[in-house]
Amino acid sequence: MNATSHWGYMSLAMVGLALTTVITRGSFFMLPSSVTLPSRLERALRYAPACALTAIVAPGVFTRHGSLFLSVHNNQMWAVLIAAGVFALKRNMMLMMAVGMAAFTLLRLFA
Amino acid sequence: MAPAGIAIAAWGLVTGVAMVKGGLSVPMALAMTIVVFAGSAQLAVLPLLVSGAPLPIVWATALLVNLRFVIFAAATRSYFSGLPWKQRLFSSYLNGDVGFALFSGRFGNASERGNPYQWGFFYGVATVNWLSWQASSVAGILLAGLAPTDWGLELAAVLALVAVLVPMVRRLPAVLGMIVTGVLAVATVRMPLKLGLVVSVLAGVLVAVLLEPADSSAAVEKQPTQ
Repeated sequence: MNATSHWGYMSLAMVGLALTTVITRGSFFMLPSSVTLPSRLERALRYAPACALTAIVAPGVFTRHGSLFLSVHNNQMWAVLIAAGVFALKRNMMLMMAVGMAAFTLLRLFA
Repeated sequence: MAPAGIAIAAWGLVTGVAMVKGGLSVPMALAMTIVVFAGSAQLAVLPLLVSGAPLPIVWATALLVNLRFVIFAAATRSYFSGLPWKQRLFSSYLNGDVGFALFSGRFGNASERGNPYQWGFFYGVATVNWLSWQASSVAGILLAGLAPTDWGLELAAVLALVAVLVPMVRRLPAVLGMIVTGVLAVATVRMPLKLGLVVSVLAGVLVAVLLEPADSSAAVEKQPTQ
């Protein structure tokens, strides 16, 4: 049982999420051509997605129950770091997933 | 297009599995993939939805992840400005990472912008992208229920986002912005209402922009992910 079983919450969430897709993709297609993207704003926009994804991933990987968890026993952290290394070298998503899952499973069983 | 189609299908499959293993019901995951149609944003908000985060935080996170589409739209608007508004809106909806990457790779330097050949190319790519994304996502959502829970598939969502993040680790301002964001996000993880998320993203973006060399606005980087 978690928040995703509340129908109202999820429906509102979906409507808003769909709007973020429509608004961002539609933005400059729908605005009058006199409106342009200032270069300073464009530079900020370039970094926002990377930072937002980092802000989501980092706490999940490096914390447990609201506290920093930089330990040899943090199996998920090691699996993610190994998978990230594999992806950086090979740029192969399926290989990265397989290595990440395998590392996690092995660490959990034997470490 | 064929290699791109396979990459999209792999990514869609993983996203589909991750949504269900991350805690969404099958109907909700199906609704999400069809209505939202933005893989990175879907995966990013997944832990927020599961923990019941306030909706403004959920929406703001998706908006931040989707902001790259604003850059795509600004870069390709001139090819579509001759179309009626309904068709422009429809085209923009299809202008995701793959459509944008392939279209601007092909026509980025075209002197004539906005002819039927370019539109045909765009809709062809966009249709293949949409179909392979939706079909593979639906397959992932339906197959996820069959996989045993002890395969560590909850990890799939994190790994899928890692695949988006790794290519972004390229230039110093971006890397330092991401480090600042990551450290702050970990430090503020106990803040109520997930406000730490917003604070750490704003700080990271600010650091990246301030660290940028003044003349780099010419070297606009496109980041085709999904």
